Amino acid sequence: MTTQVASLPPSAASPDRLVRLVASGAVIVTILYLILYGLYALWEPSALTAYTFGSLVNNTAPLAIAAAGETLVILARGFDLSVAGVISLTNVVMASYPVDGPGGALLSLMLCMAVGGIVGAVNGYLVAVLRLQTIAATLGTMIICQGLSLVILDAPGGVVSDFVADTLTDTLFGFVPVSGLIVAAVVGAWLMLRRTDLGVALYTIGTDEAAAALSGVRVARTRFLAFVAAGMVYGIAGFMLTAQTVTGNPNSGSPFLMLTFAAVALGGTSLSGGRGGLVGSIMGAALLMLLQKVLFSGGVSSFYTGIFQGAVLVLAIVFSRALTHLLERSRA
Amino acid sequence: MQSSNLSGLSIEGIAKSYGATVALERVSIHLAAGQVHALLGENGAGKSTLVKILSGVVRPDTGQMLLDGQTYMPGTILDARARGVATAFQELSLPSNLTVAECLLMPTLRKGRGGLVSARRTVAAAAEILARYDLRSVAPSALISDLSLAERQRVEIVRAFHHADRVLVLDEPTAALSDVTWLFDQIRRATARGIAILYISHRLAEVRSLCPVATVLRNGRSVATVDLRQADDDEIFELMVGHSKASESVRRSRVTVGAPVLEVRGLTTPKLADVSFTIGAGEILGVSALDGQGQRSLFYALAGLEKRLAGEVLVEGRPSRPGKPGDALRDGIGLLPEERKTEGILANLSSASNIVLPILDRIGRRGFVWPALERAAALESARAVELSPRYVSFRIGDLSGGNQQKALLARTMASGARTLLLFDPTRGVDVGTKEAIYAAIQAFADRGGSVLMYSSELPEIVRLADRCLVLYGGRVFTELAGPELEERTMVAALTGYTSAPLARGAAR
Repeated sequence: MTTQVASLPPSAASPDRLVRLVASGAVIVTILYLILYGLYALWEPSALTAYTFGSLVNNTAPLAIAAAGETLVILARGFDLSVAGVISLTNVVMASYPVDGPGGALLSLMLCMAVGGIVGAVNGYLVAVLRLQTIAATLGTMIICQGLSLVILDAPGGVVSDFVADTLTDTLFGFVPVSGLIVAAVVGAWLMLRRTDLGVALYTIGTDEAAAALSGVRVARTRFLAFVAAGMVYGIAGFMLTAQTVTGNPNSGSPFLMLTFAAVALGGTSLSGGRGGLVGSIMGAALLMLLQKVLFSGGVSSFYTGIFQGAVLVLAIVFSRALTHLLERSRA
Repeated sequence: MQSSNLSGLSIEGIAKSYGATVALERVSIHLAAGQVHALLGENGAGKSTLVKILSGVVRPDTGQMLLDGQTYMPGTILDARARGVATAFQELSLPSNLTVAECLLMPTLRKGRGGLVSARRTVAAAAEILARYDLRSVAPSALISDLSLAERQRVEIVRAFHHADRVLVLDEPTAALSDVTWLFDQIRRATARGIAILYISHRLAEVRSLCPVATVLRNGRSVATVDLRQADDDEIFELMVGHSKASESVRRSRVTVGAPVLEVRGLTTPKLADVSFTIGAGEILGVSALDGQGQRSLFYALAGLEKRLAGEVLVEGRPSRPGKPGDALRDGIGLLPEERKTEGILANLSSASNIVLPILDRIGRRGFVWPALERAAALESARAVELSPRYVSFRIGDLSGGNQQKALLARTMASGARTLLLFDPTRGVDVGTKEAIYAAIQAFADRGGSVLMYSSELPEIVRLADRCLVLYGGRVFTELAGPELEERTMVAALTGYTSAPLARGAAR
């Protein structure tokens, strides 16, 4: 599990670092997830079957990946609203230009990442070079993407290749969901990125941009690359969403906007940058989707889902604050 | 002074303006290889701009620099480092979420297998650097946020030494260090290797023990380069202040001081130790200090913006313990804050709305504030500070800095406070506005108000204040009044020197 600090893993875990680890969002949200899953299993014994778990992972993957991408931008002290636009855009692109077969799936994935990367590059240029505010700039690109999606596909429909629809929602060896492997690949890429100069620079500019610049970090370049990488990851999220829904919808990205930020916050990443990690965001997304499922299986009307999701978000943040406070006090 | 102009760094006729503000007008300095060269000057003389230019943070408008005979014009910190020029910044530049090792090696950390950053190798490389500069007491794997201020300063200094192959800039390197032996040893070793060092410090004793020569900066110009073995302190202070200015300033004529209005006894905050003073009705008490000697803490503690650890404050005999600025206002204390843009104005509102803010409940009728009422009240307050009536309805963000400051002063006075706390009231305003602000402050005192005024400009204190407290390291270092209240004495006191027998009690 990644810790909250950008620093490399310590050689010897000091009590300080232990406190930071335990109080980090990723750990708390994982514990909450396990508790909720336990409740779910009590309620609904089929929860422990590979099928239920697999479909839960399938449902979670698009949001988890979108939140992972958003985390990159938020760590560098920014907000990226274009996530919703990129998901809609890649979804309609895939539904309008289906390519069959494994090669076709790979081609579609590349295309989605390229679309996301281009949008990310535009965001990065506006924010890092022209120095526009991130919310304003990405709000603009989000609206443009939504508009483009409507031009490409003006009503829900389109065709998704069978290979994409079947394989990506499949389960390997009876218990490993393919979508889970894609999420794992994103996590793997992140763990590598964290151990590059760029990864360290990302946390550094989120913490203190001035000090980072005086330390020789190329702030504009780092921020630009964060947006590009995030855009590419949103492309993967759009790809995964298309595999789940097996249809194109020009508005498919809209529900992701708020939930992405909720997942990031739930995962303990500071919305003011510099603190947190991508794994927390993925667990945050997983918790939000599990909650939806538990409420659904408990017969709670889906109208109430939002209320519960919001309440969990607020409670998790309050809980994490209180825990940090207690741990710090007990040491003092 | 130097035989060869080729070795070392020559700065020739550097100038830099930010908009209409001239930061550096004309600066020429030659830093000889292997020599420690001091840079002296008051706050605002242009030292920090020069440091930024040398480090590659900003580019000068005109002028040129030659490093070992070749043009030197860095565009970034990395450009400067590539030429062997590095700086230990005053406002330490270590990102708090990094480890010491990461800070020392940023932006390129040591790699292990697969080209990924290796924590072990990074720490090992950093340990070697720390050992090279005798700083073994700091663990390379420690987080910057876990270090004390002194340790951070040492890490900042080590990093600069590590990157400085030709020229090293040390900007107030001893601000957080109580023991300077370590630093001085490192400096001697660096000069022995032929590195040119620019040493900026307000501690003249320190400068004398390290540097054979000093360049004095005043109002963005390098006014003189002096041989420190031959110049005495008085000469140097005079160069820093300027002859003409020192003789020009006129003391205000004194009216008799009335009963005590503000009494402060043993005020202590995390940055302030045991400060006591009394201000009478009609009196202006100046506060003078170098940056960061606790002056902000003093003002904020009085205004209810900062917690007090100990001490007592009486306003006209009644204790005042404000928990927030509103409480202080109720006690009759009004603060004019330091940062006009962030702590003062509400940029999107009109000047009138800004001015009447603290008295909304007084000017309203049955709880409603009509624009006409607001305007009338604002106009009356504006007159006191000579703010032109036509600006009153303008959006305050569109006014010049000087007019914004007048409006803020009008607001503070309109609040009905009997005691004004003015923190650098003429910071960044033009000469004409300064006169208006001086007049308003004097008029306020003549009407029996009492004023506590910090200013970064000495002539201002000399001109307006009846007495002046000099703060140093969070304590009242000395109190100046009468003939002692003049610039040269003040400069000496600011830097921890005093001709008079030491620090008398600050209370009257």
